[in-house]
Amino acid sequence: MLDLLWHGLVNVAQWKYMLPLFAGTFIGVIGGSLPGVTITMTVIVVLPFTYGLDPLAGLAAMTGVYVGGSTGGLIACCLLGIPGSPASIATTFDGFPMSRNGEPGRAIWLGVWASVWGGLLGALFLVFLTGPLAAIALEFGPWEYFSLFVLAMAMVAGLTEASLLKGLLSTAIGLLITVVGHDPIGSVPRFTFGSEFIGGGFPFLPVLIGIFAFAQIMTDLEKLNGPRNQPVQALAGVRLERFSHLKVNLEIFKQPFLLAWATIVGLIIGILPAIGGSASSVMAYDQAKKFSKTPECFGKGHPEGIIASEASNNANVSGSLMTIMAFGIPGDAVTAVMLGAMTIHGIQSGPLFISQNPDLAYGIYAAYILAHPCMLLICVALMPLMLRVTSVRMAVLAPVVLVLCVVGAYALNNTMQSVYVLLLFGVVGYVLVKLGFPLAPLILGLILGDQIEINLVRAIMTDANPWLFLTRPISGGLLAAAVLSVALAIWQHLRHQNRVVEEEPDF
Amino acid sequence: MARTFVTLAGVAVLSGVLAALSAPAMAQYPNRPIKMIVPWAAGGDTDNIFRPFAVEFQKQLGQPVVIANIGGASGTVGAREAQKSAPDGYTVYAVHDYIHLTFYAGISDVKYTDFEPICLVAATPSVLTASAKTPWKNWQELADDAKKRPGEITVGATLGSTSHIFPAMIEKAAGIKFKFVSYDGLAPRMNALLGGHINLTDSNLTQKGKVEAAVLRFIAIASEKRDPEAPDVPTLKELGMNIVYEVVRGVLVPKGTPAPVRAKLEEACAKAVKEPSFAQAMKLQGTRVAYLNANDYAQFLAKIDGESKTIMTDLGLIKK
Amino acid sequence: MSIGRDGIAGLVLLAISLVLLVKSFQLPSLPIVPVGPGFYPAIVLSFMAVASALLVLQDLIKRAPVTADAPDAPRRNYRLVVIAFAIVGFYVLLLPLLGFRVATVLFVGSLQAALGRPRTPRQWAVLAAIALGTAMVSYLVFERYLLVLLPRGAWTGF
Repeated sequence: MLDLLWHGLVNVAQWKYMLPLFAGTFIGVIGGSLPGVTITMTVIVVLPFTYGLDPLAGLAAMTGVYVGGSTGGLIACCLLGIPGSPASIATTFDGFPMSRNGEPGRAIWLGVWASVWGGLLGALFLVFLTGPLAAIALEFGPWEYFSLFVLAMAMVAGLTEASLLKGLLSTAIGLLITVVGHDPIGSVPRFTFGSEFIGGGFPFLPVLIGIFAFAQIMTDLEKLNGPRNQPVQALAGVRLERFSHLKVNLEIFKQPFLLAWATIVGLIIGILPAIGGSASSVMAYDQAKKFSKTPECFGKGHPEGIIASEASNNANVSGSLMTIMAFGIPGDAVTAVMLGAMTIHGIQSGPLFISQNPDLAYGIYAAYILAHPCMLLICVALMPLMLRVTSVRMAVLAPVVLVLCVVGAYALNNTMQSVYVLLLFGVVGYVLVKLGFPLAPLILGLILGDQIEINLVRAIMTDANPWLFLTRPISGGLLAAAVLSVALAIWQHLRHQNRVVEEEPDF
Repeated sequence: MARTFVTLAGVAVLSGVLAALSAPAMAQYPNRPIKMIVPWAAGGDTDNIFRPFAVEFQKQLGQPVVIANIGGASGTVGAREAQKSAPDGYTVYAVHDYIHLTFYAGISDVKYTDFEPICLVAATPSVLTASAKTPWKNWQELADDAKKRPGEITVGATLGSTSHIFPAMIEKAAGIKFKFVSYDGLAPRMNALLGGHINLTDSNLTQKGKVEAAVLRFIAIASEKRDPEAPDVPTLKELGMNIVYEVVRGVLVPKGTPAPVRAKLEEACAKAVKEPSFAQAMKLQGTRVAYLNANDYAQFLAKIDGESKTIMTDLGLIKK
Repeated sequence: MSIGRDGIAGLVLLAISLVLLVKSFQLPSLPIVPVGPGFYPAIVLSFMAVASALLVLQDLIKRAPVTADAPDAPRRNYRLVVIAFAIVGFYVLLLPLLGFRVATVLFVGSLQAALGRPRTPRQWAVLAAIALGTAMVSYLVFERYLLVLLPRGAWTGF
């Protein structure tokens, strides 16, 4: 196995593979860093170029996009407070405050290095444990998925700063948003009040960008002192601080447990289809907070939050690669496009893929591993330029970022519907933030809403016995963990309240 | 005063630039990129068939053909979007049989007659596929078991779409009863099938690799003759059921698209499907190239629509 | 007895969830699916109704000890927020009518002017350059390289 991997690494280290890998990673970082441009979109853009390449070169380019995109998202998170891609949502929670505290460089590099280490740690699992881990994923039937999602929501409702109740309500609002529109089983219109606009439903991405972008930009505008007397102010103008890569790495390795656990959370979510990097980022963040000695620092620019989120979203990539390597079943849109590319080259995917095409399989592993140093190089080259964003005037930054958000929302489906949704949820998000509702639980509710419903109904359709949720061992265990998690959150909350007098959240 | 002047001057400059920017000139069709609506997610079967097609299609048209994946609600979101688009030839709609079924199931009010046909592109025979965790080695064992336990064998399907209709036709022909569970799309169905969370599903020959690895079993194929790619799989006709079921995919444009534009698209389509590289790409998708020109395709659509109505009525799924 | 911001928010959410809960019971059932399309929404909405009722209660109980709200340290400029939302709203409305390029130039120009009105011709020139630049660059990048066909104007055909 090791010699196969070595062979793969040497093979991919040739120019004809490194060049597409590097190019793919570069495009991925750029695509990931633009709010609204998803990794899926970026990988589709790369797809036509791979037709003409040899299969491994094409797959290397796509792997590069995947890895680069998962990292690129953190740039917008840290500098603008808007997730560049859904997979980096949780990075916003601490990355942006850290930037505002005058350390944008530290925030970004913590994220980049955490991505590198999380990704490479994920690679170990990818190379050595793909078979067994993917087999476990198959054991997940609708019952297990349902229970897992309940656990995820129970975990994240406890993330809340001010009130557990508001956290739960936020979750419910997120779930409610996904319910509106046509139902996922029989396409019956729900709560549309006869309107065609509502009937189209509220797709995840425009809702997400709308809520984050407007909440962030509009709260910034509040602080501008009126257009007349003080025209332009360098609101975001934070001086670049000195930072050292060594210090950032030490910060990460000071807590090896955090890094390892975030990686594992990301990996598991990655193996399970249809959940994706956004959920893994939020869940790892929650775990980091639960296990932290200083949970009260989260949300104010705590390095642990950034490390957890970024390590997990890159490990998520290795998890998603596992299912297509092991079974030829794509877990998300990006791997679906990769699989499509394999088919076009006449490669038979499926459980025999690794044994029948060892060169190609280990080539993909090698490309995944080598994409990380490439990504690091690209970040080193781009970062001085990217950090300039912090010195752009708000009057210029706000319109440009909003144009990007509008285009990104439009590009999702090539329809204006998504743009209207963006605006609607911009208003909703701003109002919710003003009322002190936390955004993280809402986002998780949004991410998981559809899947919870589908899996609940599937479970009932497969077997009408409701006790199966408790009696199937994995499912029952997950539900028990959910109850525990809520209990832990309440306990931590009470302890926290006793220690510190509640502060007014300022977002 | 001076401030007002500056403001006015600024506005004037801006609008001047705007006027210079917008100089619409209508030239020969097509003079800008064409959007192809694929009503399913990227990486799905339909997407995998139309992407290689778009490559050939744009070579013939001389303008980029850009695929827009508009998924959701059993493909009806994309259908509605296509129906609403301007009939100028810059939006084409990649369709399969679901459009007839979702209409009769009452899921959408978009009908195939809201569009003009351009051409039929490809046909993919359905294959009844069983999980390796089931005991059945062949159709006979499956049928015997199904008769013993009616309504207990689970089938994963997109309700009201092709993957639902095909097993439902088998139900009727064999006099058995399945239990349907909602799984939208082939990838989630494959996951559930490998894990044994469903017993059967509709798939196609792209899943051959999993059969060779013995994690799936092909029970029967719904083509006229056995497929050279999978010669061991019997046809449903051999098994005594008169079912030929292929998912056919073609290109439509919104009603009202001018005839010269349609002619241009039809000509480009006819040439595109004849490319050997396209045939090769289709073979890898377990699909055959099945070209029909606009006239034949129109008749074909009408025939399929009638059949779909009959099937949906027979199965008690009809709402309209 | 006075009600606070949380209480009002809770009441609004409670009202929404109750109305929708009633609606969810009116949804039709499906032929093959044992639970109808209203099953899951009803669960979510009941949960939401209970949580928002609790929020109202919590607010009523907690109100008493809190005296005057501490004045917000920096004076908030809500006028600007309303203006900004209005400009974005116009942009979204005009997008399908004027087309992406024209609407974007107008939007970026006007939002910039609203956030910080230029005074000299030079500042106006910078503003116009940024507006044009944003429209052109984003158009080129998305249309050419990211294969997104941005909206054409129904009025301008551009």
